[in-house]
Amino acid sequence: MSFFRHSVQIASKDLRAELRTKEALNASLSFALVILLLFSFAFDPTAEQTREISGGLLWLVFAFAGALILNRSFARELTNDCLDALVASPVSGPALFTGKCLANMALLVAVELICLPVFGIFYNVRWAHRFWPLLLTLILGTWGITVVGTVFSALTVNLRLRELMLPTLVYPLLIPALMAAIQLTTGLLAGQPLAAELTNWLKLLIGFDIIFTALALGLVETVLMG
Amino acid sequence: MSSANFTFLVYGLTVAWLILFVYVALLAGRDRRLRREIEQLKQMLQQYKRS
Amino acid sequence: MKDKLLYAACLLAAWLVLANLSVILLVLPDEAEQGAIYRIIFFHVPAAWSAFLGFLVAALASVAYLVKRNLWFDALAVSVTEVGLAFAVVNLVTGMIWGRIIWGIWWTWDARLTSMLVCALLYAGYLMLRRAVEEPAQRAKFSAVFSIFAFIDVPIVWFSIQWWRTQHPQPVFRGGGSMDPAMYKMMFANWVPLLLLFVVLSVVRLRQERARGEIDALRREAHAL
Repeated sequence: MSFFRHSVQIASKDLRAELRTKEALNASLSFALVILLLFSFAFDPTAEQTREISGGLLWLVFAFAGALILNRSFARELTNDCLDALVASPVSGPALFTGKCLANMALLVAVELICLPVFGIFYNVRWAHRFWPLLLTLILGTWGITVVGTVFSALTVNLRLRELMLPTLVYPLLIPALMAAIQLTTGLLAGQPLAAELTNWLKLLIGFDIIFTALALGLVETVLMG
Repeated sequence: MSSANFTFLVYGLTVAWLILFVYVALLAGRDRRLRREIEQLKQMLQQYKRS
Repeated sequence: MKDKLLYAACLLAAWLVLANLSVILLVLPDEAEQGAIYRIIFFHVPAAWSAFLGFLVAALASVAYLVKRNLWFDALAVSVTEVGLAFAVVNLVTGMIWGRIIWGIWWTWDARLTSMLVCALLYAGYLMLRRAVEEPAQRAKFSAVFSIFAFIDVPIVWFSIQWWRTQHPQPVFRGGGSMDPAMYKMMFANWVPLLLLFVVLSVVRLRQERARGEIDALRREAHAL
């Protein structure tokens, strides 16, 4: 069970480091809130329009904000050769990866949970009555973003133009997950029950998460250590 | 065959093959560049070995 | 492969295309409302098949590279991906032209076109990734990982976009599955010359990868001296 122990250790190390400086968290949160507000100014959507775009708007904001967090995930280890130290340590690739995923997930979900009420206020959308299904969607969707994003954060960490390469590689891969999350969120906010059509999207999201988690766990050792 | 949209069919087919030819041209250009570089490197090494 | 063989393959492909064109233009019946533009399907669809074949071979070559660490597999992967991307662009542009003629708009989020666009983005990303890595073994490793991720994503993208489009139906190129069997045969028949071209272009590209390897070796020798 050292896998779990190591993962938790890595996750808590990352979270502790992040919470002390709050660099990525602040950047991500400010970015997300600014975009949300700008969209409200730029489009001033009616209630009907808001209902249609709610999912899309939220998840695009989350995806962009997430890139900031994911970028820093491995970039933070570059100074003082920390990445080399981690790779040389007894922590296995998958454990390191899982630890970082958990930390990134926590940070991104925190940002999302702050954005949700802000969205509710500025767009006049009631979301509290669907909180639990929404939370499920947030967690499943964010896990998809985090898993793919963390693997490619590791891959792009030493490349030139890292900040450009990460979104370029990751966003097309995430299209199915984002689409499913968007459909679910729009449906839930419009009052649809979590049944029939929406469950298809839920299944897609769960399937995506399982497949890409397995793939990432399988390949992350190769990416980190060769 | 109906002749409605026939010119557009011709345009479409032309564009399709044009794209492939453009790719071939790109490959040919790259080929020339690679060959030139190999020649230059070989010459440089020859000169160095002789001296 | 010998140059002569490649030229022969090209000539064969050209001959087949012309032969097929004569059948396409003269023999095959019309489609209900679309006029002549419908016949572009015999290049539009096989181009998509060629693109997907390229991505499949690239994924397999990528797995082979990660297992065997032989750079030839990496060269194969990049070659078929590049050629596949060229065919993907052919599919997208012919699709856009077709759509412009029959529906009056250049782009509509039709399920097939959208899926192909996402694939094109993925594989363009693959080529961009390769430019960002200098060292050949690392480049091969990272590209292989991305190629595998991308290929696994392709069917998921396909399904998700299909579902998305059934919720908001958009115009579809071919209504239903009822197509004249002669047309089906012609689509496959026209795939043959496109496949020949695919192989020829991939071989040419593979040679260029090998030339690059030669340049790297020569450079290292030069540095050593």
